[in-house]
Amino acid sequence: MSAANLADTQTSRPAASAVPVGPGRVPWQREAIGIVVGFALLALLPLIFTDSYSRHVLIMVFIYAIVASNWDLSLGYGGIFNFGHIALFGIGVYAYSLLTKLAGLDPWVAMAASGAVAVVAAVAITIPILRLKGIYIILVTFGFAQLVMQIILSQSDYTGGTQGIVRIPSLYIFDHNMVRDGKFAYFYIALALLAASTVFLRAFVRSRTGIGIVALRDNEEYAVSRGISLVRQRLITLAASAFFTGVAGAFYAAYQRNASVEVFSMSLGTIILSMVLLGGTSTIYGAIIASFVLTVFSEAMADFGAWRPIITAVLILVVMLAYPGGIVGMLKSAMAVFSRRTSARKS
Amino acid sequence: MALLELDDVSKAFGSLKAVDGVSFKVEAGEIFGIAGPNGSGKSTLFNVITGIPFGPDRGTIRFDGTPIQGLRGHRIARLGLARTFQRETSFDGLTVFENALMGSSFGAASQPSASAREAAAEALEFVGLGAENFGRPAGELSVFQRKCLMLATAIAMKPKMLLLDEPASSLTKPEIDSTIELIRRTAARGITILLIEHVLTFLMSLSQHLLVLNQGTMLALGEPRTVIADERVIEAYLGTRRAAA
Repeated sequence: MSAANLADTQTSRPAASAVPVGPGRVPWQREAIGIVVGFALLALLPLIFTDSYSRHVLIMVFIYAIVASNWDLSLGYGGIFNFGHIALFGIGVYAYSLLTKLAGLDPWVAMAASGAVAVVAAVAITIPILRLKGIYIILVTFGFAQLVMQIILSQSDYTGGTQGIVRIPSLYIFDHNMVRDGKFAYFYIALALLAASTVFLRAFVRSRTGIGIVALRDNEEYAVSRGISLVRQRLITLAASAFFTGVAGAFYAAYQRNASVEVFSMSLGTIILSMVLLGGTSTIYGAIIASFVLTVFSEAMADFGAWRPIITAVLILVVMLAYPGGIVGMLKSAMAVFSRRTSARKS
Repeated sequence: MALLELDDVSKAFGSLKAVDGVSFKVEAGEIFGIAGPNGSGKSTLFNVITGIPFGPDRGTIRFDGTPIQGLRGHRIARLGLARTFQRETSFDGLTVFENALMGSSFGAASQPSASAREAAAEALEFVGLGAENFGRPAGELSVFQRKCLMLATAIAMKPKMLLLDEPASSLTKPEIDSTIELIRRTAARGITILLIEHVLTFLMSLSQHLLVLNQGTMLALGEPRTVIADERVIEAYLGTRRAAA
């Protein structure tokens, strides 16, 4: 770029409002249409899958998708290695169980309150990691998850300890029978939660606060020099990633009607983390797609027994080696090839 | 009243005094240059003033009448003190436009979205990154473009004062000329400029006052012509360069 070039552009200034986004950023109207169409298609699935088992698998997909996509907010966008994310889900499970069983709260109110409890817990995790970096954040957040689990185990009078909690009140819709409808109602509640979570996450990452989170991840000192507060942004990031994670935990408790400390286990954490990574980080959609792919794949291979996790692990490795951007990266390069072919055909 | 006023500012790393008893004033509207050989404490001085990543051990720094030593970096930035970094720096995961939007959104008191977008676009156009660049990922830009982008994100903050850390480093001769021109135009917007360089000709052509640092201490301060005629400066800075050449 020359000095002449610099002087030239000074005179011709287009309206700022006309150029907010460019290639690589889809206008929000188009994305909104995509979300509506996508969820409308998902809403048709119970018509195809009429048996309650398939619907159960889909409900689990939706729960995983909420937890994984919210983790993508803190891990992918924020670059904060919050290994306590699964604990936020577990806190949702136990908050709902205790609020409904012990406090006798209305299940729907308890579900929203569980989201709020998870947000409070996320703020509590954030405070000790505010000025930490990288591996130290993993250490503290992982410790937090273990701490929560130990507290739940030790308070067995309320939490049932290792026995867990059973007969947790389920959700209700007027007088609809939630048990004998082939999981019809639960399917749509789970789908609605995923839709609400996805709209929230996408709106958030497109907002200036959301862009600020990425700025802080990309270069902390530079971001601070532009007036971005590290403390404020970290608190917002973790709090925002916690609400629907907690709600998903509450929904899971209401749906399964029992709770155990299994929800804090490494194995669940590993499954969700592999969904975040396999899908492609910093996309939100990637984690959701990967939740489908991994869960359905795992179900399809039910006959392989012990080989199942091994085959799944190899598949994840192959995809990640070929496409470090995960499934979304794979789809993007496929689309790039496709558009190149069509443009070549035109010329 | 001076816009920026340092009084006996010091910063040590263990036994190394990186900045040692530095005092000077920068008047509103001027271009103030800081020279010194590598390792003379120029960049540390910038870090200490902006609180990124640390403030001074000792001394006071007043910006626009407010003591800023001990304030967090983002607070100092929001008071209207913007800085650039020596290495070309950008938010690679964001587009060019989003980079500038960060400056205009967070760099001043809370801005409504429309005016922040306006300020970001204006700053980008000002440094020569036209609308055709707005949607490009910042990581794709050339070194010079990234330096211009870094300046644009600072200008988008609408700062009172801009601290430029070796804006000419790793640039070609024509790019350096463009940079000089750009700094002049930035100053013409009413932004006071504090400029670090070790290329003296660059500083001479721009600054009204010149401070020379050596091993963290002030060697000379004053009119650029008087300063470079100072024997101690020639000895510590120019003398060694001539001897080496």
